[in-house]
Amino acid sequence: MRKLVVAGVCLVLLYCCGQTAKQPVNKAFEWQSHLSGYHFFEGALKQLQPRNGVTGYDLATPLFTDYTHKSRFIALPKDSVIRYNGAGLPEFPDSTFIIKNFAFLQPDHQLKLIETRILFKDPADHSWRVMNYLWNEAQTDAEQWISGKRVPVTFLDDNGNEHTTTYQVPNTNDCKRCHINNSILTPIGPKVRNLNFTRKGADMNQLAQFASAGILKGLPSADSIARLPVWTDSVSFSVSERARAYLDVNCAHCHIRGGDAYNTGLFLDYEHTAATPGVMKEPVSAGGGAGGLNYDVIPGDAKHSILVYRMNSTEPGTAMPELARTVIHKEGVALITQWVNGLKK
Amino acid sequence: MHKRNHIFLLAFMLVMNACMQTPENKDGYVHHLNFKPGEEAKIIEAMLSMKDSSLLQLDSGIYKFDNLSLAQLKHIRVQGAGHDKTILDFSAQTQGGEGMRVTDVNGFVIDGMTLRDSKGDLIKLNKCTDVVITNLHAIWQVSDSTSGGYAIYPVMCKRVLVENCYAQGASDAGIYVGQTDSAIVRKCKAFKNVAGCEIENTSHAQVYDNEFWGNTAGFLIFDLPDLSKRGGFVEAYNNYFHDNNERNFAKAGSFGSTWGVGNAAPGSGVVILAASDINLHHNRIINNNAAVISVVSGFFIDEKAGEKMNDHYFPIPKNIHIHDNEMQVADTFPPAMYGHHVGRILVGISQQLNAQDASRKGARLPYIIWDGITTNMLTGKTGINPDSICIQQKEQNLFVNADAAHIGKPGWKPNTDVAPFICK
Repeated sequence: MRKLVVAGVCLVLLYCCGQTAKQPVNKAFEWQSHLSGYHFFEGALKQLQPRNGVTGYDLATPLFTDYTHKSRFIALPKDSVIRYNGAGLPEFPDSTFIIKNFAFLQPDHQLKLIETRILFKDPADHSWRVMNYLWNEAQTDAEQWISGKRVPVTFLDDNGNEHTTTYQVPNTNDCKRCHINNSILTPIGPKVRNLNFTRKGADMNQLAQFASAGILKGLPSADSIARLPVWTDSVSFSVSERARAYLDVNCAHCHIRGGDAYNTGLFLDYEHTAATPGVMKEPVSAGGGAGGLNYDVIPGDAKHSILVYRMNSTEPGTAMPELARTVIHKEGVALITQWVNGLKK
Repeated sequence: MHKRNHIFLLAFMLVMNACMQTPENKDGYVHHLNFKPGEEAKIIEAMLSMKDSSLLQLDSGIYKFDNLSLAQLKHIRVQGAGHDKTILDFSAQTQGGEGMRVTDVNGFVIDGMTLRDSKGDLIKLNKCTDVVITNLHAIWQVSDSTSGGYAIYPVMCKRVLVENCYAQGASDAGIYVGQTDSAIVRKCKAFKNVAGCEIENTSHAQVYDNEFWGNTAGFLIFDLPDLSKRGGFVEAYNNYFHDNNERNFAKAGSFGSTWGVGNAAPGSGVVILAASDINLHHNRIINNNAAVISVVSGFFIDEKAGEKMNDHYFPIPKNIHIHDNEMQVADTFPPAMYGHHVGRILVGISQQLNAQDASRKGARLPYIIWDGITTNMLTGKTGINPDSICIQQKEQNLFVNADAAHIGKPGWKPNTDVAPFICK
């Protein structure tokens, strides 16, 4: 009898033991299986109409991703705010979501959503996590998707020219590669200097808008905040300013000290590098990617500058950025070409 | 306390103990994953959702991948059934710089498989600590400039062991250890690469018991400017570097004044460039028919090297100890060196030596070539051998100071006097 009791207790304990893994102790964060599960948006999901508490934003100079149209949102937990912390990244409260949607403009001029990438600041350790969601064909929802995908697409570029390509949805490690700096995963886009402009159709600076909505605190006077040039605004900014802004956004997430391309010694961040980065710098580990050229940037000679050569390629091993670009960004290449050709010899 | 309670307590403790302990196998890994060919999608997903302390086993067969990646993990082992059994083919790569990318992993082992035919590098390990790469074959089946740069490529890592590996076809270096602290490369082979093995801006490296042959250059120890750390303290011994006489098929820098592997002349056995505290001894360096051992400064390839000096870069090699190596060369230069810019410089040095010294009777270029650039040019001093180049070798026709600062200028006078450089 006693043996039976002991065996019974053991069984119960073993059962509990087996169960513990399934019962989160203090409600650890878990990703939703579908985008709809977060309730970021109201109405038909594909309209991306933010519900109350979800704020849309734009960047002065955005990252190029195969001419996709992007819409960006920040969802803050109730009663919390973003704190100004200089011109770089502001301080986001725990449990912040940053949501970025990617859509193509189809030949029929309808937008088609392809993926939604989410960053979440986990209160468990105050660090950021990444997840990706792939939109279904019916455009009714997006499903959690970690392993990347190659999706054939036909789309219109910014000038209405039609292209066909195989879009590369990144896997979650690809996400980390660009977002890790010094082993810490961080958001890239919503730096204060890149939020510091007036959005198309708005009557007020975006940062001021956030402040007046009460979601951004500690903002100093507007003229004391650095701003990243708008890469397309040739009226307000010089070629050099626009080019540097473009390189900052498109390259510097890796080409920065602590970034994924730290080993190359080529640094392209806007604030902390030389005014003319890469000038007469020899490649270190580019291999065939350098295309037989000798210097990253040769003043006055874009044609023989590795930087331009790699931006102007779609070959794996040569194309830069390495990830999330399968077509050439003609307008970007044109700007960087103009900048390099205008550098004093 | 009642006896029954004791038994309950004991049972409880036993069970709880079983619960608390991680189900770790005797191999030391908590999680075990096993796959076979055809399960590529599952493998990709497993790598993306992998937990710390995982052993991923890949059974025999050929696997086709676009690319693979592991990031931000601890204690990971990727285990194949052997280099001739488990084959990962990356010929379908459509984006990215490499076939397999390992980023920020602490405690990583890859063992027993072949990686082949990626568009970029074959396996790149970035910012990893305690890395073991063993019984790994990393090859491009075609050796030309369409191959990726590096076959086995740990960079910015700490404590790396590359052992029993084979690298073939790299358009830069077969085994390349870059900007790393503490590395061992041993019992490896490299064939048909531009450089068999390159240790670049890497400190405290040991390279021994390797065989590098059939490359453009056998073994390079380079320090380059503008990088995150300085190299140095490299010891290479008991290696067999032979028959490295092939055309340099590196794309970047093949022609021009740039840095890097494009500068390696066909027929180079060992090249030390701007690196310091090197001990090169007891190697067999045979039939590398341009220059058996070259010791050159950054100024040899870039007159502006001095402008790049900082804590991470010093262009003039110092404390170079070359002793007890076995060296042999053939009677003629390898044909490929005549088509290479540094190769032609070496031919020029040889011709100049023979023109200025009839007693040489047209002898071959000496075994050890030094560019003759010393810190005297920075300090304005005139000391003999201020940078402690120390040679202990028995061969005749052993050494030439190429007087590189004056190549092609009036008064250029290469000098074969080794006396100031004999180890004291």
